[in-house]
Amino acid sequence: MTNFRTFILGLTASFGLPWLCLIVLPAMQYEKLTPVAYDKDKDGVEGFFPPAPVNGQGQLVYISEGCNQCHTQMIRPVQLGLDGWYKGWGTDQEARPTTPARPNVLRDYLGEKYALLGIQRVGPDLANFGYRAPDAAALHAHLYSPRSVHDWSSMPAYKKLYKLQKIQGPASDRALKLPKKFLPPAGYEVVPTPEADRLVEYLLSLKKDYPVPGQAAAVAAAPAKK
Amino acid sequence: MQTTPATSDTDLQADNLRRAAIDKSVKGPVLFLFTNGAFWLMLSTLLGVLAAIKLVEPEFLGDCQYISYGRLQPAHINALVYGWGIQAALGVMLWIMARRSGQELKSGKSLLITAGVFWNITITLGILAILMGKSTSIEWLEMPKFVWPVLLVCFLCYAWPIARMFGRAFRPEGFMVSTWYILGACFWFPWIFITANVALHCLPGLGAIGAGIDAWYIHAVILLFFVPVGVGAAYYFIPKITGQPIASAQLASAGFWTLAILGGWTGMQKYMGGPLPAWMSSVGACAGVLLLIPVGLVGLNHHLTTIGKHSAVAASPTLRFIFFGALFYPVSGLILALNSAFWTGAGLQFTQSWYSFQVVSLYGFFSMCVFGAIYYIVPRLSGCEWLSVRLIRNHFWFSVYGIGTIVIMSLVAGWQQGADLNDPEHWDQTFMNHVVNSRPYVVSRAVAWALISFSNFMFLLHLLLMVAGLGRRSSAPTLLERDHDEHALPHEAHA
Repeated sequence: MTNFRTFILGLTASFGLPWLCLIVLPAMQYEKLTPVAYDKDKDGVEGFFPPAPVNGQGQLVYISEGCNQCHTQMIRPVQLGLDGWYKGWGTDQEARPTTPARPNVLRDYLGEKYALLGIQRVGPDLANFGYRAPDAAALHAHLYSPRSVHDWSSMPAYKKLYKLQKIQGPASDRALKLPKKFLPPAGYEVVPTPEADRLVEYLLSLKKDYPVPGQAAAVAAAPAKK
Repeated sequence: MQTTPATSDTDLQADNLRRAAIDKSVKGPVLFLFTNGAFWLMLSTLLGVLAAIKLVEPEFLGDCQYISYGRLQPAHINALVYGWGIQAALGVMLWIMARRSGQELKSGKSLLITAGVFWNITITLGILAILMGKSTSIEWLEMPKFVWPVLLVCFLCYAWPIARMFGRAFRPEGFMVSTWYILGACFWFPWIFITANVALHCLPGLGAIGAGIDAWYIHAVILLFFVPVGVGAAYYFIPKITGQPIASAQLASAGFWTLAILGGWTGMQKYMGGPLPAWMSSVGACAGVLLLIPVGLVGLNHHLTTIGKHSAVAASPTLRFIFFGALFYPVSGLILALNSAFWTGAGLQFTQSWYSFQVVSLYGFFSMCVFGAIYYIVPRLSGCEWLSVRLIRNHFWFSVYGIGTIVIMSLVAGWQQGADLNDPEHWDQTFMNHVVNSRPYVVSRAVAWALISFSNFMFLLHLLLMVAGLGRRSSAPTLLERDHDEHALPHEAHA
């Protein structure tokens, strides 16, 4: 390659094609994506898909703690992995789900600045965590000390999201109920900070299993009301 | 070898003088980048040890929020990529391009140093921000928003003189394939970096497409920046030290252009089966497997060039590092292909084997080539020879064992993780099996990073002594096996 200009042209063309086809055009198309309305007759539900945006404030906590290093938010189709069949990983919370949870589609993440699909799956997938999540108090206890739930857990304890305070007067009704081993010293209690509340709200709002308009399988899997 | 054969002593002397003048002109910026890069590498490997420990035992060193795995791991990778990788790459690129084009760095030395200082300050702030909880959670772009424009400008400060040297080459007809790779890296990186940052930081929000763009960014930076710099260095130093010409010009050319054509397509297979349009991850998977072609072509070419010269590999520190780096290139290609292909990728998705690809291409391949280059370049800039054979040898072996452990363990761990994740027996189980089974592999990852940290401690120490001008005063280079074969290295190798 003696000619400088030909060489640069070659570099531009070889990289420009994937850049245009894989990044620019899909991104432009995505910008046009809008929620679609359900068809009451076909889908059996009303409103728009996806129905609710995620809890953005709580997502910020999730982002700053780097939760996506270990938790994915993406259900794969059954031919690729077991995800859809895991107990409680979809809307269907029965002991033995009859149909697999559906794989995620592009619109599930509509309105999110950046979909936190995840890097590794060290812990369970959280795409549909909202359906199977315990109540907020139990979730707070889990975040405060994961090993109080599973002694083998490798999840960090997010103690800084909680406040250790001296009990003054009656104990706070928000104080975490922890197993004996994890209790704070006598006379103290652990209460969630606003950040922890937002994170829990976000986790409870993770429901990416709404029926997809026009997809028969999703309609069959969908419960009567959601 | 493209050096003009010396017809007389005066020619040789003039040649040596010109080389010395070129070396002197780039001395400041190149040594600055290498030294700072080595510090970041040290930090990154230590963070790697700590992150691996925290993944097994989250209570290690207390429940401090600043060192939870979710913050340590991105800090570790960002220090490796931006602190060490790109800085060291720029140093090597600048030096090789100056030497290859026969051009001195005429002006702007202080600008280059200033850009280097800004680069380091920005990365320091960025990594502190990650640890303080200001991470963006976008893999490899975790540093806050303000970081990228500064990094871009600093990079361009270096890319511009490198491209100018290429354009005004002293001997355009003698140009080697190494300069193509280096110019390619200079040209593609800003493009990739701007695209990813604008898409992920400036556009109103791309949802799942954003995740795909991030996966693409990681692979494009590896394949179109780190790989070209590593291969370019290998193409420069292997012929130089063995005294053999590159075996095949056609292979070299084909290897370059197939990489250029395929490199930009891959990455999105990381989310195969996910919300991205299926064709995007399919194209990525396809390119990921097809990349075995350029990898194989380059590997074959290097093999044919070094054939019969293995005593030089044993003796010359530069060649030894580059030879092993070049060996890891096919290994990294193979791991990428395994991760990409549908029938193995389904099992390896979301497991450690993706981390292993990043580490093997960044450390096993790229860094080993750059270490080789540094062992060659620094004595010529500092005017003294490496002090200790033992330090070099330890650096080499601990690095090889460390990186080998990470590669093998991460692949096995990936396979194990995939098997646990997709085992139908586990449909109603907690993640206990998965977490407990992967523990030994993560422990081995911590041990491997500890070995690498140890090796880099010696490297950093050695480099600092050299930069301080405390090396050996001798005209003979430091070779690893001096009594083996004095004639293993041709004279030009020391020029």
